[in-house]
Amino acid sequence: MIKRLLVTVILISMSGILQAANLKAVDGKVAAPSLVLQDLQGKQHDLKDYKGKVVLVQFWATYCAPCRKEMPSMNKMIKAMGDVPFKILAVDMGETKEEVEQFVSEVKPKFTVLMDEDGKSIADWRVFAAPSNFIIDPQGNIRYTLFGGVEWDSAELIEKLKAVGQI
Amino acid sequence: MTTLKIILTGLVLFSMSLALHAKEIRTIETDEADVEVRIFPADGNVLLLGFPCDEGKSIAEEKTANSLANDGIEVWMPDLLSGFMLPKVRSSLVEISTDTLTAIIEEASKTGKQVFLIASGPDTELILRAASQWEADGNKLLSGAILMFPRLFKEEPVPGKVPEYIDAVGETKLPIMLLEGGRTPNRWGLKTLSEALQKSGSKVTSKVIPKVRGYFFKRQDANRSEDVVTSQMAGLIKVSIFYLEGKNIHD
Repeated sequence: MIKRLLVTVILISMSGILQAANLKAVDGKVAAPSLVLQDLQGKQHDLKDYKGKVVLVQFWATYCAPCRKEMPSMNKMIKAMGDVPFKILAVDMGETKEEVEQFVSEVKPKFTVLMDEDGKSIADWRVFAAPSNFIIDPQGNIRYTLFGGVEWDSAELIEKLKAVGQI
Repeated sequence: MTTLKIILTGLVLFSMSLALHAKEIRTIETDEADVEVRIFPADGNVLLLGFPCDEGKSIAEEKTANSLANDGIEVWMPDLLSGFMLPKVRSSLVEISTDTLTAIIEEASKTGKQVFLIASGPDTELILRAASQWEADGNKLLSGAILMFPRLFKEEPVPGKVPEYIDAVGETKLPIMLLEGGRTPNRWGLKTLSEALQKSGSKVTSKVIPKVRGYFFKRQDANRSEDVVTSQMAGLIKVSIFYLEGKNIHD
């Protein structure tokens, strides 16, 4: 009886954690839209070049408080993903290089920040809020989406993302 | 120095007396609530009816209303939350009856002036709901509506999917001006929102105000750009009314 109760409590608490992460699974095979943008150093990145890796594509902005708050955990998740080939492409939503550079010097992201000053990719990816996140599998399909700030290095999220890499 | 102090005090008292003179409080009795309306009278033929759900605490809006009234635009600001004895939370909006909103519009229309509606954030839902009911009741189309940083998603937007809007979106023919801050992700949804609003035949224009965030005139941490735009909000509204009047003339 006690065992059953404990199992129920554990299951309920686990579902709470997953709900908190708010990862939404994408039904079927949905290919990620094109994403070709330059980083702050002017180097061009094409999402297609990262096939074979799990990719977190995030749309963010410097004025977005949850984006700022979660970035340290994004730095930590790179290590937490361990041996799973993994890449973060953080697309700034329509700000100037000057605005983003100032933010980067304060927050010090260890991942690739891409610039989209005219907002083309924002339209292509149907992004209406920040932060908006897409988890792309090694074949280039969108597996999960997530809206809002989270702790990216939480064990539950890392476990899910590692599983995406094993398919 | 003393003379300067007297002059300054005189100027402050004079401007305060002007402000006090400008505002009248009128109670509109409806079937469901008695709503106090702050009225900033003016001689012109335009009346701006705002729906600020802030329990009568709208400081920046009052300054703007005074400025507009000085330029001949009459402003009415009904205190709906107090009228319905509701807390200042988003869920209160659904408690405000559409009949009460249309009753206030009816009173505004009786002045014979061109009536424009204005609201910000989630309160913009009230405008759309009221306008569609007003039209469904067979009344003459109002002159237009200004929606400042409208927040009209039905639920949290899912990345990659076109958002669903609340039911009142796409129900009115009212000409609409959308104003959105340049420093908010919502600016990227303006096209989609415009298309949704146009479904009912509404003519929609949208403008992005550079360098400001949403709710810029309510912010405690407003930056310099936001302070500047707040101080010029009357001008922004006048330009919007000008655009909306143009939409009416060309029809």
